[in-house]
Amino acid sequence: MIFAYKFVSCIVIALSLVIAFPCFAYAYLDPGTGSYILQILIATFFGILYVMKRYWYRIKSFMVNLFKGNRSGNKND
Amino acid sequence: MIRKRVSSSFRDPSGFLFTEDGEIYRQINQSYRTHYDYFIESGLYEKLIKNNLLVKQTEISQDLEGSSQDYYKLIKPEKLPFISYPHEWCFDELKDAALATLKIQKVALEHGMSLKDASAFNIQFKDGRPVLIDTLSFEKYKRGSPWIAYRQFCQHFLGPLALMYYRDQRLNQLFRIYIDGLPLDLVSALLPKRTFCRVAILIHIHLHAKAQKYYSHRTLDKTRQNVKRQSMFGIIDNLEAAIRKFSYKLPESEWSNYYEDLHYSSAALSHKSILVSNVLDKLKPKTVWDFGANTGLFSRLAGNRGIPTVAFDIDHAAVTINYRECREKNQTNLLPLVLDLANPTSGFGWANQERMSLRERGPVDLALALALLHHLRISDNIPLEKIARFFAEICQWCLIEYIPKSDPMVQKLLKNREDIFHDYYEKDFEQIFNNYFQQIDRYNIDDSDRKLYFYQKR
Repeated sequence: MIFAYKFVSCIVIALSLVIAFPCFAYAYLDPGTGSYILQILIATFFGILYVMKRYWYRIKSFMVNLFKGNRSGNKND
Repeated sequence: MIRKRVSSSFRDPSGFLFTEDGEIYRQINQSYRTHYDYFIESGLYEKLIKNNLLVKQTEISQDLEGSSQDYYKLIKPEKLPFISYPHEWCFDELKDAALATLKIQKVALEHGMSLKDASAFNIQFKDGRPVLIDTLSFEKYKRGSPWIAYRQFCQHFLGPLALMYYRDQRLNQLFRIYIDGLPLDLVSALLPKRTFCRVAILIHIHLHAKAQKYYSHRTLDKTRQNVKRQSMFGIIDNLEAAIRKFSYKLPESEWSNYYEDLHYSSAALSHKSILVSNVLDKLKPKTVWDFGANTGLFSRLAGNRGIPTVAFDIDHAAVTINYRECREKNQTNLLPLVLDLANPTSGFGWANQERMSLRERGPVDLALALALLHHLRISDNIPLEKIARFFAEICQWCLIEYIPKSDPMVQKLLKNREDIFHDYYEKDFEQIFNNYFQQIDRYNIDDSDRKLYFYQKR
């Protein structure tokens, strides 16, 4: 499952980078331009991942608390 | 009063460092005024100090003679006992420095600022923890703007750590050549192919290197650039997760099991510890450098007495063990570093002056050279005369161990080679060292033929 996720992620990212090149004109530039553009291209992907991760942690902690609450409730019964 | 500009402080127009009467100061220029004021007013400075992520500073109200028109403010940063460089750090130290940099960037973003530099040289170890030393590294965060220091972070931290993790920890030595971090095309070429399957490495190293090459002669359309703040947190989160996954597994090295392998009898080891402790108590040095420190058994005697101590060793594994013990036991006065004394750090960077050589970072009060002399003389083939001269240049006092040829460890070094070391005898050693040092004391180590010499520089 994790491998499939990683594989799909790699493909999606690689394709996105090929397709989503911004407009450019030829000029002399410092080597930092590539780093700058890469960040713009990957930003949305990591932004979504970040939000998903935060929500996942919230759901997980909610479930854990719920489960713990039930268990302590059962003990009291 | 002699004012001297710090040789490494010239790239950033926001200000510069200088020394006066042995104290260090930082001038903040007018061009950085809005950023600096915001840095203080936003509470970022306070937060970073509270989290031990930044060196403390004091604003100096006095007007300095000879200040340039750019002058806005003068601050006095806390002075650190020793400045170290990334090629001298073990894997764990570089990893901790990387994580500290990311944490600083996260805190900065929360306060409406962003790191404009992510150089490993801006991180130093204070009380055993990595801290940022450059107050001028922050700028006000512009909405939609990407992280300007992303490239530098990958070159200074992620790339070197990936190489050390996947290939060999000694590759941190590339920092001696590449002062602005390791070029990503080089890192990408050196990493194994399997790293293409790691999302973070694929993007931040391999694709990053390709993007740098592809866009090196192209301009970008600025109207299309927009990175949401949340996305920036996403990138930082991914970099952090990638770095946390790197964990250095200690190899079986020659030195990391040195004491366990019992080259010393326990009586000799314990007597040597007592002798070193006695010298430390008698001399009360302000600073100690322990050369050939191994895992820091004797360096700890100095560190635990509150003396800022640097423990140098050539072996990466031994330095890692030492650093991990410092972290576990919260030993804040000891800084373990990787150093080949036969080829110590030279001045490097612009005009060979940007970063200091080992000698420029001295002299130290007391140098310890325990069970080291035979390695320098026999393994590295350095004449005693040169060894004595070097120690006289870097320290005021020296505690050096003489190990005779009859010792099993010297015999081991001589086992498969011709003994061409005709000056390696006690008489020659004493005669040569007496040219540079005055002997304060000499101690015989129990249960061995080894001797400790306590010297003061002439």
